Amino acid sequence: MVLSKAGIGYKGNVARIEGKEKIKKFLFSLGCYEGEEITLISILAGNYVVNIKDSRYAIDEAMAKNIILAEH
Amino acid sequence: MKIALAGNPNSGKTTLFNAITGKTEYVGNWAGVTVEKKEARLKKKYELNHEIIKVVDLPGAYSIAPFTSEEAITRDFVVEASPDVIINIVDGANLERSLFFTTQLLEIGIPVVVALNKGDVIDKRGEEISVEKLSSQLGVPVVQTVAVTEKGLKNLIEIAAEACKINKLTYQLTTVETSDTDRQKIVKEIAKHTFVQKRDATTVRFSDKVDRIVAHKIWGLPIFFLVMWAVYSLAIEGPGGFLSGYFNDTLFGEVIPTVVTNFLDSINVNPILKDLIVEGALGGVGAVVGFLPLIMVLFFLLALMEDSGYMSRVAVIMDRYFKKIGLSGKSIIPMIVGSGCSIPGVMATRTIEDMNEKRMTVILTPFVPCGAKLPIIALFSAVFFPGSSWVGPSVYILAIGVIIISGLILKRIFVWEAESSFILELPEYKLPSLKHAFIQMLDKAKGFVYKATTIILVMNTLVWFMQAYSWSLIPVEDQSMSILASIGTWIGPLLIPMGFVGWQLGAAAITGFVAKENVVSTFAILLLAASEDALHMPGGVLTEFFTPVTAYAYLAFNLFTPPCFAAIGAMNSEMGSKKWLFKGLGFQFAVGFAVATLIAQIGSLIIYGAPITGFVPGMVLLAGLSIGLFILIKKADRKRTTLGLED
Repeated sequence: MVLSKAGIGYKGNVARIEGKEKIKKFLFSLGCYEGEEITLISILAGNYVVNIKDSRYAIDEAMAKNIILAEH
Repeated sequence: MKIALAGNPNSGKTTLFNAITGKTEYVGNWAGVTVEKKEARLKKKYELNHEIIKVVDLPGAYSIAPFTSEEAITRDFVVEASPDVIINIVDGANLERSLFFTTQLLEIGIPVVVALNKGDVIDKRGEEISVEKLSSQLGVPVVQTVAVTEKGLKNLIEIAAEACKINKLTYQLTTVETSDTDRQKIVKEIAKHTFVQKRDATTVRFSDKVDRIVAHKIWGLPIFFLVMWAVYSLAIEGPGGFLSGYFNDTLFGEVIPTVVTNFLDSINVNPILKDLIVEGALGGVGAVVGFLPLIMVLFFLLALMEDSGYMSRVAVIMDRYFKKIGLSGKSIIPMIVGSGCSIPGVMATRTIEDMNEKRMTVILTPFVPCGAKLPIIALFSAVFFPGSSWVGPSVYILAIGVIIISGLILKRIFVWEAESSFILELPEYKLPSLKHAFIQMLDKAKGFVYKATTIILVMNTLVWFMQAYSWSLIPVEDQSMSILASIGTWIGPLLIPMGFVGWQLGAAAITGFVAKENVVSTFAILLLAASEDALHMPGGVLTEFFTPVTAYAYLAFNLFTPPCFAAIGAMNSEMGSKKWLFKGLGFQFAVGFAVATLIAQIGSLIIYGAPITGFVPGMVLLAGLSIGLFILIKKADRKRTTLGLED
């Protein structure tokens, strides 16, 4: 499932990140990569607010489509 | 000895830097405030044995190689600064993420000391980080700090000085060969052993609830406008505006000139020198310095807003709108900063990763009326629209409209592949510090006074001289025979399409490129020398040159043509190429002329029912600009087809 399809409050693990190398690399340095936990906190004005480790990030829809979540 | 400060964005590097150097560098509660490295000397209070210690503040980074594995940009930054010791600021509120970068810093081969910062946030959460364990696991000293209250900083410097003496690390946690995935595992282990987590980071907190309101898809925008309106009405109508009014009308309008004139008369000063001092220096600088209270209040409120954490939320709200006009949500931050001053505004575009979005933001940020343009707005609304409070806000609404339309046009005439993505950390809200806002305000006030007493003073003296003398350096009876008049007359034809007649208007607009406040002070000097009336009086001498409609057009002309030289310099360094700088300036000139012509000609036609001077040239100009735009769009469309890009 892609992050953009997840419901608010969804908590799960990242299966893989798709898209450009630059973005993968950036998300990796934040701690968003295969096997890591990610929580969808809110959807605000078209952006996905997620919790990764101890921080909140706002991610736009295009990027949310590149974050593939593991099936429960 | 030289210390470099390195760490994640928004971990408190600049707050720490300011605390230990006594500087007042720009701090804000969002990721990426510091955009270039800053260097200063350590404050006396923190010095050890009177040794001169230099401190370098580096821009924040999450990783040593932020974009590709091949380019270790951050490492190059650190090595280039050639420090004797690195103080790695670790955000205690986000330990695990910070440590990833720490392991990479350890491999550079320069001694590292970890400053475990935001101790107050950790305490507040009731969490604990074991300093001893962290230190033994990393193999480097760890010092607990709270940069905001300067707690632990003295200790930090002492330990950093000691660490310098150790040449080689005895213990190696990771090596350059360690894969990033292994590195994450190692970091995770360290965090597990040193960090007692009390709260579940993933639960919905108060901060999230606030976000759901202020970044709401419907309410977000009105709330943002309300906040900005409050900031400006407090600055312009509130205490700032009140004091400025007093300064302009009474202090610099009557009291000081009278006192100085009497004094100069009493000591029999040469009348030319007297005129130069009273009309040139005092008249010009006074017309600007009067706005100091207004600008101080504006910067105070902006600093409070920037400190609160709200800016990142505004970027979230604006993202979807700004994407439509070829910008990023992050473009709003340069624009808000630019409402104080365009120079830091343009520099703040550095947080925008996509080069095209960044260039567009650089071109559009100066359209936001900056603090230096406030005196022009205030002068024109006092003279031409006395008693009406809509002029100020209308200028900002006009600016927003111009930015949106300009963005849409830029998106059509420049060809690029849309690949931008938006990700932004949302820092936790915090109560903005009044002390911090006060320091920022004083710093800005100092800068403003400095500017008024140097560049504006020199320019005003020059303007006074040029309006009093002819090219053959003989004092003129009639201003229209002066040097300034002849320069203004050369430029005159350019202003005809907008219905601006009079060499004074051209002269004032030109001095505005040196500093926008000069537009006001030039009028002050020119009209003070020619008339007895106060410049700011409703229906004052300026009405000889403008109708209310053309006055508004002249205001728009000064707002939307390129900014002052200093801001153009900032544009130059952010654009990265002269070609783009000239494209940007060309675009700004076109917008300034088009908007002013439209307001003057069409506005007059609608309101007074008759065309004004320069109607035909105005229409020719507008037609020319439209044809030019049409050709550019066609050219861009062809290029898009050849490149196979959809829009």
